Amino acid sequence: MFAYLIRRVAIMIPTILLVSVVCFVVIQAAPGSFTDRYLEDPRMGPEAVARINAQLGLDKPLYQQYLRWITGIVTKGDFGFSFFANRPVSTVIGERLFWTVVIAGITMLFSWVVAVPLGIVTALRRNGFTDAVSSFIGYVGLAVPDFLIALLLIALVLQTGGTQVGGLFSPKYIGVPWSWEKFLDFLNHMWIPILAIGTTGVASVMRQMRANLLDVLNADYVRTARAKGLSERRVVNRHAVRTAINPLVSMLGLSLPELINGTIIASIVLNLPTIGPLLYDSLLAKDQYVAMTLLLLASALLMVGNLLADVALAWVDPRIRYD
Amino acid sequence: MPRKMLMTLALATVIAVGGAAFAQPKVVSYPGLGMEPGTVGGTLTLSLADSPPTFMYYGQIDNNTQTLTGVVFDSLVEFNLETYAIEPALAASWDVSADGTVYTFHLREGVKWHDGTPFTSADVVFTYTQIITNPEARAGDAAQFVYTVDGEQRAVTFAAPDDHTVVITLPAPSAAFLLQQRFPMMPKHKLLQYSVEGGAAQADINNAWSTDTALSDVVGTGPYKYDSYVAGQKVGLVRNADYWKVDANGTSLPYAERLDYLVVRGNEAQAAQFLAGNLDTLNISGAQFPDFKSREVAGADFRVITSPALFGSPPHVAFNFDDPTFGAWFSDVAFRRAMEQAVDRQRIIDDVYNGLAEIPGTPTAPADGTFYEDTKSLMLPFDLAAAGAALDALGIKDTDGNGIRNVPGGKDLEFSLTYNVDSGTFTDMATIFQNDFAKIGVKANLVGVSGSALLGTGLAGDYQAIIIALGNQPDPELRKPIWQPGGSLYYWHRATQPAEPGGAPNFDAMATWERRVYDIFDQGTTLVDRDARVALYKEWQRLNAVNVPVIMVAKPANIAAVHDRVGNYVYNLGVIPGYNPVPLYYVK
Repeated sequence: MFAYLIRRVAIMIPTILLVSVVCFVVIQAAPGSFTDRYLEDPRMGPEAVARINAQLGLDKPLYQQYLRWITGIVTKGDFGFSFFANRPVSTVIGERLFWTVVIAGITMLFSWVVAVPLGIVTALRRNGFTDAVSSFIGYVGLAVPDFLIALLLIALVLQTGGTQVGGLFSPKYIGVPWSWEKFLDFLNHMWIPILAIGTTGVASVMRQMRANLLDVLNADYVRTARAKGLSERRVVNRHAVRTAINPLVSMLGLSLPELINGTIIASIVLNLPTIGPLLYDSLLAKDQYVAMTLLLLASALLMVGNLLADVALAWVDPRIRYD
Repeated sequence: MPRKMLMTLALATVIAVGGAAFAQPKVVSYPGLGMEPGTVGGTLTLSLADSPPTFMYYGQIDNNTQTLTGVVFDSLVEFNLETYAIEPALAASWDVSADGTVYTFHLREGVKWHDGTPFTSADVVFTYTQIITNPEARAGDAAQFVYTVDGEQRAVTFAAPDDHTVVITLPAPSAAFLLQQRFPMMPKHKLLQYSVEGGAAQADINNAWSTDTALSDVVGTGPYKYDSYVAGQKVGLVRNADYWKVDANGTSLPYAERLDYLVVRGNEAQAAQFLAGNLDTLNISGAQFPDFKSREVAGADFRVITSPALFGSPPHVAFNFDDPTFGAWFSDVAFRRAMEQAVDRQRIIDDVYNGLAEIPGTPTAPADGTFYEDTKSLMLPFDLAAAGAALDALGIKDTDGNGIRNVPGGKDLEFSLTYNVDSGTFTDMATIFQNDFAKIGVKANLVGVSGSALLGTGLAGDYQAIIIALGNQPDPELRKPIWQPGGSLYYWHRATQPAEPGGAPNFDAMATWERRVYDIFDQGTTLVDRDARVALYKEWQRLNAVNVPVIMVAKPANIAAVHDRVGNYVYNLGVIPGYNPVPLYYVK
């Protein structure tokens, strides 16, 4: 297992390097330049813009810009600096990391806690009423984008005279120490992103769980278990579900990069201080080191997620061994 | 005793009693704008479109940084909110030498930075010499302070003969100089370490006051002090009790005890936050107007206020004079006059802006009481038949029967029309143009680009026709790079621009009227006689109206929604230095 891990990590390094080149090329290929933002301002002549380009290192050949960035990462853990914020990329991303992880964590937890039992129930009562209703909701959840659900929820809140139409807190609780009232205010705001973002997740996880369980329930060993005279509950819980859940563990690993790019539009609509809108802005503004670092981080998370999923799979499924 | 006299007496007392302990006050009163004395206290919550990238005004050109700077810092002079005339601010008064080259500013006494340090002439000289004229400051204005006199580059100089006097000496007179001195003043004692004078490199000034700086270090002299900042959520400010402005009753400004800027991205999210009562005021667009107005009429607790706009950006359609395919036609006045008649200004005002716009100037805003020249009678009205006839007269006819006119030589008159896809207003406008052009056999293919790339596309000449909106300012001198042929933003005829940045423009490429416009702007810069300047700029607007360098479309009005609990509201873009009504808003 240990040798396997080493091998996997070793493969990740060249992959990430390759991804970093691709990110850089893609961002350079997009039209426009960071200094476009200066052009309309009456203070900025072409000379001033040229000077800023030199300041930011944008006058250097592309390969030099790339090499400087990647060497900084490898040798000093320095991800470059944000042109826009005049400070290191790591601090710009860092200040948004906390809420990004919290929101993603809570919504993912919500999806799974709702979706896995629903998937099991709908598989067991296949083609029954519960199945029909849950499947219908599931398909609608899959089909309707999260930002649209968010907009509908905001409209609903406005219609009913509520004030929690975006953000994480009411204005007066932002920037003050935590208190019971602040926590209640947080919960009062948080249900909207949980429902909006989480519902899409519910649908896909539930459908996956249902399909897996149905496959397993028809397997020979389940029939054997039943033939042995085990209670149906034991057959399902101990034998069927445990196997059926395996593919979901891989799914969990694959959903790690969604931390960064999964909920950009919903985060903008819901006014959440997460990394998604930062990526969006940096791509539009060509704040290249912020955008490149975030894309790189997303692909690193995907690889790490995959690795964790494989390890977890080995742990939950006795049939899988990597040595 | 007449009321006015009583008031003056009362004020004199306030000055006598309070003047020594507090600052030399400036009385601010705008009865003409419907303002009344307010009460101190309460919290105002306004919107910020995004987190500020930095707290350093001169470190980044950004609307959010500018908006915050407007309430935390002051400049030497500022606008009268009603007449847009230049008034004293940190400079209590000034003298100008007879030849118009020496400006002596007498600074307001007793003004303090938010940390209690006295504000002096050293701060002013520091701000000018170390920051504004620092060529590496990303939002500085170095070029403004170097004049070309007799072909030689000469710099403006700054001196501080005593703590409360600043002398600025220009190499040559400059008509708009005072108007331009709306630069926020910065504290020397906090920023010295980032300046060349303090031993740092020129570019280091951009690194000052990044948003992770301790807020106690970011001090201004303005009506509000920074109190808290939560990235992506809120900037909290508290009232500066030592501020130097007072209302007509002698109550010191600002009124609101706390000022919160809630970070809300996007029009829809801002509208929702306003309707939910989380924002006190909101600038809205003509497209949002019907929704807000119908709620107001239905009894909502807010009002929708509209007023003619001076600032703000009127859109225009430009044809690329240098286009390799159609440049010969696009640069022909007769062609542009023909196309002007295919632009339905009134329909755009009615349908796109819901009536909340007016026929624009060419290009000065009709709300500008000084420089605006009414050129409506010179602008050609919408008339498709006349537009078609004018194109016929140019020999641009549909010779191959495919429904599209052909320029002499056979090519279809089919070109791209670039517009900003991020804006519903521009998208609607582009579609209207496309349809009307099609009716006269002119085919426009819409090309959408993101708002941030729009002007860059124009400046690169990478378009055939384009819809762009560039702002109005209270003096044409401030818009010289746009409207003077050969200017850095004179993007529709780039052949006039200098071969080398900073060099002489290409006069050979200019049409006769362009050369005249060039001379008008050149003279306007140094002419001190105001009436003569106004006459010059009016001539320029008439030249623009008949030669149509670009087709001006509409001048949108100011529209805002304001909750009933807010008093003394005056429309505020937030980003115009020296125009800041927020200290006058009060919570009822």
